[in-house]
Amino acid sequence: MANEKVDVVIVGAGASGSVYASVLAKAGKKLVVFDNGPDWQLTDLISSDIWGRRIKPAGAPVLLEGKHPFGYTSQAGWGVGGAALHYFANFPRYLPTDFKMKSEHNRGQDWPIAYEDVAPFYDKVAADIGVSGDAKQEEKWRPAGTPYPMPPMKTFPNGEVWLKAAEANGIHLVPTAVGMNSTAFKGRDACIYDGWCHVGCPIGALANPVVSYLGEARKAGAEVRPLSTVTRVLTSADGKRATGVEYFDLKKERQVQEASVVILAAWSAQNPRILLNSATDKHPKGLANSNELVGKFMMTHHIAGTWALFDEDITPHMGTVGAQFMSYDRYPKTSYTGAFGSSFIVTGAAMKTNDYALARGDLYGSELAAFMKRAARGITRFTIFGEDLPQASNRVELASDKDEFGLPLARLIHSFDDDAIALWNANFDQGMKVAKATAAKDVWPGKGPVVPTSHLHGGAIMGKDASNSVTNSFGQTHEVPNLWMAGPCIFPTEGASNPTYTIFAVSLRGAEQLAKVWGTVAG
Amino acid sequence: MHDIERRAFIKGAALGTLAFSVGGAEVMLTPRQARAANVALRTLTAERAATLEAAGEALVPGAKEAGIVNFVDQQISASAEDALLQVRILNVRPPYANFYRAALGAIDGAAEKTKGKKFAALTADEQHDFIGQMRINKIDGWQGPPGPFIFNVLRSDAVDVVYNTMDGYAMLGVPYMPHIAPTKKW
Repeated sequence: MANEKVDVVIVGAGASGSVYASVLAKAGKKLVVFDNGPDWQLTDLISSDIWGRRIKPAGAPVLLEGKHPFGYTSQAGWGVGGAALHYFANFPRYLPTDFKMKSEHNRGQDWPIAYEDVAPFYDKVAADIGVSGDAKQEEKWRPAGTPYPMPPMKTFPNGEVWLKAAEANGIHLVPTAVGMNSTAFKGRDACIYDGWCHVGCPIGALANPVVSYLGEARKAGAEVRPLSTVTRVLTSADGKRATGVEYFDLKKERQVQEASVVILAAWSAQNPRILLNSATDKHPKGLANSNELVGKFMMTHHIAGTWALFDEDITPHMGTVGAQFMSYDRYPKTSYTGAFGSSFIVTGAAMKTNDYALARGDLYGSELAAFMKRAARGITRFTIFGEDLPQASNRVELASDKDEFGLPLARLIHSFDDDAIALWNANFDQGMKVAKATAAKDVWPGKGPVVPTSHLHGGAIMGKDASNSVTNSFGQTHEVPNLWMAGPCIFPTEGASNPTYTIFAVSLRGAEQLAKVWGTVAG
Repeated sequence: MHDIERRAFIKGAALGTLAFSVGGAEVMLTPRQARAANVALRTLTAERAATLEAAGEALVPGAKEAGIVNFVDQQISASAEDALLQVRILNVRPPYANFYRAALGAIDGAAEKTKGKKFAALTADEQHDFIGQMRINKIDGWQGPPGPFIFNVLRSDAVDVVYNTMDGYAMLGVPYMPHIAPTKKW
């Protein structure tokens, strides 16, 4: 039996898709949210590094290529909640400079909007799902705004040991804004600082989609269809409108879901994959891709993590996996001579035994056993994320190899340019200077042959028009007005701070716009 | 609700156990118990199991007794969607058994080529040195998945069974503090 046509299909039940689902369901739209993984419940979120791997991608891989391949799989999600089911919920904002890199530095691209366009939505998201932090202290680096609804989180020795050393190096650390509850919020409990956030918070203290926007969407009548893999966006015969999606259901049978509006919110690698696989005679290069920009300008943050090992017990396991402290003092894009791009500093994340082992990934045998005992009392890390500039050569394309549904695998090709590598090295130098100024017994850079990466952006970037972009500032594609893109795929630059707060905010801006202009978009 | 109560709001009686097939019936055992009970392996051959056990112990002391062989064998015998191994995070393409066969075969092949015997038959010192050379990709004539990658995967598996369990936390004196304890299988 054919599926009844709905108003909206949303592909992906993660951070961005859940925002659209909430706004549009509350606006009375009949909608279906597809996700290729299970419909995780809070009771599935077992406190274990081993069990936590269940909510990471399974099945057909993304082919990771290039000189500096993305660390894709550890970042991605699988199932309802998406990557935001296991994210760290650090909620720093982008800064005004991130929206105008081209104007200020003649590098990268400008966003078609400014910080001031997004700022009201940061505030709305904070009020919707709860953010803990100290806005006043952040205003050293950004325009003043509304205070956060909750005070900062508790701090612990594993974060506090960095404060004086950072200050001595000109780095002022302030409480990190986090999407977690320092106090009870809207019926959700306060955090108890057990440090299991990265495998999913089952008590609702961390604002994952299941307990926030997606939960609201379901209450408003949204249907979530799990274990359903969308392979193509379908279009009208003239190619001018999206008519729905093709998907394979939980029995792995082909289905069609018609809709008035289609929103792709399946993260930066899968969104271009679906667009490219939706080629027709009217869109021979892929949907929304006549300018051949779909899949281009993929970006990720590089990570410079500096380790410090103390003799005293600094309770490494306590706190949250989000950071206790953050700083934008190396955020100006010309902070270091000979390098370009923003850097964002965090410290004081809770660590578990798996992290202790990773802190010295070169050790094995009796040396590892001895190290684990020391790390259990005294390990901590100072982490600096660095910016990757947009390059068209960093891209998603379709491989010849296919998954079980006949959808070509995504090939994700990425190499950092010289600026990014220079910035990565400068951030290690900075981290070591700070670490040496602590009372730690041993300090070392977490540097190996592979450049660690985090976060994923680009692939369907926004811009003023089709000359340089796939979508407008709301995520509406230039070519197919009832096809919208959601999530970090539309970011034309990536800044250096954790992106999810901005993903929520930009998605909320897009969702409210879609609801506002529904009549002209849905037809 | 009190914090302690919230940490343990779902409790289980069989902490850290996996489903193993014994005499045709599925029973819940920890990998350590499965090893002690000599549970039959489903996918790994005896030869590959011996290599894995020796390599695991050389990487993380205690991995042998903690049941690394039973752990990996049980995991690579399940569907990829149910697998809890680090290879899932490292973007290895399922079925994961293929990777383990290739990796363990590469270790034995290189050991025979350079030392004249399989890895499990080397002395503890020889195994330690071999692992060190494999980690930095310095074994001549290596054939198979890259040695440094195999080092990372097998080390992670060994860390899983020795340290990433509730017993492992207790051994290090780290409070486990689960919201939901790993009750179902592992």
